[in-house]
Amino acid sequence: MDRALFAAASGMAAQQQNLDTIADDLANTDVAGFKGSSQRFAELAAAGEPGLGTVALGAHLLMTQGKLAKSGGPFDVAIDGPGFFAVVDAAGRRAYTRDGEFQRAADGTLRNANGLRLDGVRVPADALSLQVADDGTVRAAFAASTRTVGRIRIAVFPAPDRLRSTGGALFAATPEAGRLRLVVPGSENGPKLRFGMLERSNVSIIEAMMQILSAQRAYEANAKGVQAADEMLRIANNLQRG
Amino acid sequence: MRSMDGIAWAGSAMVAARTRLEIATANLANVSTDGFARVVAQGRMTPEGVSVLRQRDTAGHGPMRRTGRDLDLAIVGPGAFEVSSGGTRSATRAGSFARERDGTLSDPQGRKLLAGARAVRVPEDARIDERGRVLDGEGAVIARIPLPAGSTIRSGFLESASVDAIHEMIDVMSAERSFESAQKVVSSIDKTREKSATDVARVK
Repeated sequence: MDRALFAAASGMAAQQQNLDTIADDLANTDVAGFKGSSQRFAELAAAGEPGLGTVALGAHLLMTQGKLAKSGGPFDVAIDGPGFFAVVDAAGRRAYTRDGEFQRAADGTLRNANGLRLDGVRVPADALSLQVADDGTVRAAFAASTRTVGRIRIAVFPAPDRLRSTGGALFAATPEAGRLRLVVPGSENGPKLRFGMLERSNVSIIEAMMQILSAQRAYEANAKGVQAADEMLRIANNLQRG
Repeated sequence: MRSMDGIAWAGSAMVAARTRLEIATANLANVSTDGFARVVAQGRMTPEGVSVLRQRDTAGHGPMRRTGRDLDLAIVGPGAFEVSSGGTRSATRAGSFARERDGTLSDPQGRKLLAGARAVRVPEDARIDERGRVLDGEGAVIARIPLPAGSTIRSGFLESASVDAIHEMIDVMSAERSFESAQKVVSSIDKTREKSATDVARVK
């Protein structure tokens, strides 16, 4: 009975974690470049004896491409294919993101919603507009001329799903993700830049809702298992009284 | 062989019902575990009462789920992936692998995928075709994941648990009820014995 109680409780705990992961995905469906994750589980077994329950192994990032959508921002750019924008925070630490919704800051840098600076581009104050070519060259139009003001290169990791999510659409490099390569976009088979577009989050709301429903029901079923095990214990205790 | 009286029989039925509940709750707990094969209760009458054996149902497979990850592998048909961790080999149908820095493929529990006796080592752009062949970027065969004849591998898919929640809930309910009925039998035999122990003596 203890075993049934434990197995059912382990199922409840695992589904609780599953719900947390799905809720996080759902909360970020409107964040450009956000990557959803899925919780994974393993069976608990001791020395070949099955039936001890389950354990949640943690969320696993799903690095599938989000849909590209035309956007209104003058500095929006999206990556079509693998890779990330390399961004730098105030302390010089690097982060990686597929959120290409940049804003021009007062110091001429392009910064995303988190205030992180896009590496390799500086827009002069008198520039009127910006154009990003397929090969990542950023050209600024001035009153009389246009000039190259930087180049966007795409950071590609061999195992991007092993990056560490640091909230929203930001990721930090890890040893498991492999060695970073900086790629010039636009090459054949390589990632491409899409100027004037943004990558939507790759979370499908419908799918996430379905996952929530099934996780909730699974949680409920396990709770019923706890109840049944408890009821059996009660019956067993009533043996004496008859 | 010890001889069984009524109470012992009913007691063994209670133990059997408890085992059935344990099996059903453990199956329910793993309803989201990829590649999980449900355990079925197999009841038998023995001279020692009712006994329930746990048997892994390896014949029925769970439904396929698309994930889009190249290293998520599902086996269509019988068979399992051989994995090893610290020298312990085991078989699993949960084929969610990730490439480690040393080129080996490990599952979420850190177990390495084997091809025969050795761990598979792949370059970054490797892929696995439906016959279980591990191909490098140029299409040369590096290794082969052993599969039974007729089974194929689907890349980008995972096999969900072969647990049917409805089935298991019914098992939970019926185990609870058989436990209850067996308890009633124990109680009524106990009452009869109580009568014979107290009332019979009073009759004279």
